[in-house]
Amino acid sequence: MRPGAFLLRLASTDRPRFLVLVLALTFIVFALTTRDFATIYNTFNMTQYGVEIGLLALGETLVIISGGGSIDLSVGSVLSLSGVVLGMLTMWLRLDVWVAAPLGVLSGGALGALNAFLITRVGIPALIVTLATLYAYASAALVLTDTVPISGLPQTYFVLGQGQVLGVPLQVVVVFLPVALVLHALLRHTVFGRALYGVGTNEVAARFAAINVQALRFWVFTLSGLLAGLAAAVMTSRVASARPDAGFGYELQAITIAVLGGTSIMGGEGTILGTILGVLVITVLSNGLQLAGVHPIWQLGAVGVVLVMTVLLNQWLARRRLRTAPRAA
Amino acid sequence: MRALPLERPGTPAAGLRSRGAALVRSREATVVAFIVLLGLYLEVATGRFLTLDNLGNVLLSSAGTAIVALGMTLVILTGGIDVSVGSMLGVVSVAVGYAAAAGWSLIAIILVALAAGTLLGSVNGVVIAFGGIMPIIATLGTLNILRALTFQLLRAKWISDLPATLSTFGLGLALHVPVAAWVALGITLAFLYLAVRRPLGRHIYAIGGNAEAARLAGIDLVRATLFVYAITGMLVGVAALIYVGQTGIVQSNSGVGFELQVIAAVVLGGTSILGGRGSVAGSALGAFLVAEIKNGLTLLNISGLAEGMVSGVLILLAVGLDRLRARGRRA
Repeated sequence: MRPGAFLLRLASTDRPRFLVLVLALTFIVFALTTRDFATIYNTFNMTQYGVEIGLLALGETLVIISGGGSIDLSVGSVLSLSGVVLGMLTMWLRLDVWVAAPLGVLSGGALGALNAFLITRVGIPALIVTLATLYAYASAALVLTDTVPISGLPQTYFVLGQGQVLGVPLQVVVVFLPVALVLHALLRHTVFGRALYGVGTNEVAARFAAINVQALRFWVFTLSGLLAGLAAAVMTSRVASARPDAGFGYELQAITIAVLGGTSIMGGEGTILGTILGVLVITVLSNGLQLAGVHPIWQLGAVGVVLVMTVLLNQWLARRRLRTAPRAA
Repeated sequence: MRALPLERPGTPAAGLRSRGAALVRSREATVVAFIVLLGLYLEVATGRFLTLDNLGNVLLSSAGTAIVALGMTLVILTGGIDVSVGSMLGVVSVAVGYAAAAGWSLIAIILVALAAGTLLGSVNGVVIAFGGIMPIIATLGTLNILRALTFQLLRAKWISDLPATLSTFGLGLALHVPVAAWVALGITLAFLYLAVRRPLGRHIYAIGGNAEAARLAGIDLVRATLFVYAITGMLVGVAALIYVGQTGIVQSNSGVGFELQVIAAVVLGGTSILGGRGSVAGSALGAFLVAEIKNGLTLLNISGLAEGMVSGVLILLAVGLDRLRARGRRA
């Protein structure tokens, strides 16, 4: 079989293995062309960065699976604003940082719940709600801080984003992996998870099966905000300050990772494992481009290219499957 | 398909009075009322709103938004969206900037702007119409790709010291009104004709109302989709001419956040975000309202950083009230 045909078949039938292959190829290309890329230090170091976009992508995966045009464009701005809330509670209200951090995470959940309310109760399409709050939350973070990062947080807090266990960044072990496992279990082994796929696949059928579609969507958008808040807590610790523009452009990466991992943009399809592999691919890509001295704006540009190419591929594969299905049956 | 307020059918016996009443109840009238009330408030609060200079500024800054909002109206009518217009404005501005700096004639620069805009818009159109990608995904991708391209073309510098070729577009006045506003008015009238009287315009409404029904009625979905994105790109070209003429400088962040103003103008003007319902005239008025609000923030000494909050909340209010009212009608 020609390698091209083999890759396409793999992308269509076995997304995880396809992504592992893509990941390996990307890694090898950067290892051969970029100095300091394939070192043990860098490999672990880049997973730090992957945790933040990874948490956003996990939330995005749940949101997109719920279907009906569900998408969350505001995740980057929720990250920025809840980071600022964390910083303000600590530095301005003098709360203990270990109290402020959970409150910051909850504020992310509250921002997500506001999105969810506007989408499910008022009935505004998710695209418009989260586009509006993408700008509104980002603007609120800038106004609250007057564009100046909040720094001077207590040193003890930095362990979360800068500490290590056996060389592995602490946040991978204590935040990302547990969250990913819980979400995996949620999707695979709970009524909530089955209902989520059901709603995403066929909303009308789900309603006839007595699934509360709006309540379900309310929870996934709230969860997406909560995960963005968690990403903010980790990032604030890693960079030792709360930057009001911390999440700029992250929505693009989160959405790209989700669709790269095999989440169907039409809803009803997607896995946590796929998203984790997507996180690794995008992290390797971003890190490699960064080490190669490519400007951050082109890193976003590259992710934009990956997004459009992936969705084109997904659509093409779906159409091909439709064409070939009757013959196979 | 729901009719435009402008041509809402009425029996002849109902006569002029019902048509007049429909006009007063129309979304356009509501937007005008908001514009007048906000203007009065700003004049009373600051005493600096109703000057010829200030009104000229508001008109000028609304012109570019209004022009692109016309195209965005067609896009949203088909049930799509284009969030890449700000980045497109960046790329086209760079092209215009280089052409002007090279001393090209005005006609040549205009052609460059229109061609570059149409090309970029067509790329969106092709990806959406032939690739079958959701418009938000496709244009979110091009938003980031084109912003990177803008940066690349400028190589981390900016273009300034532009010759005065374009200043007519940006700063010229005719009958005390900015030339740019006349241009916007002319294009609005052309779009009004297109949307209400031409078959293509009616097809666009039909697609947004029910794409499958429109297809079965023999409407060419691909052609209409290509058209709305390409024409939006072309209008971005016009807006870029005004933008460069007005600011006299092209930077790598030219046009960042422009899409928000444009989308705000369209939804404030009453176009349904679900497609199929809306008006071109409403979007032009919406663009003026957006520019007036922006001007108001400056007059009231409110930080420009709050602009995203104000526009975001306005969009949510406009769409939210629409949705609640629609639900009330259904009940």
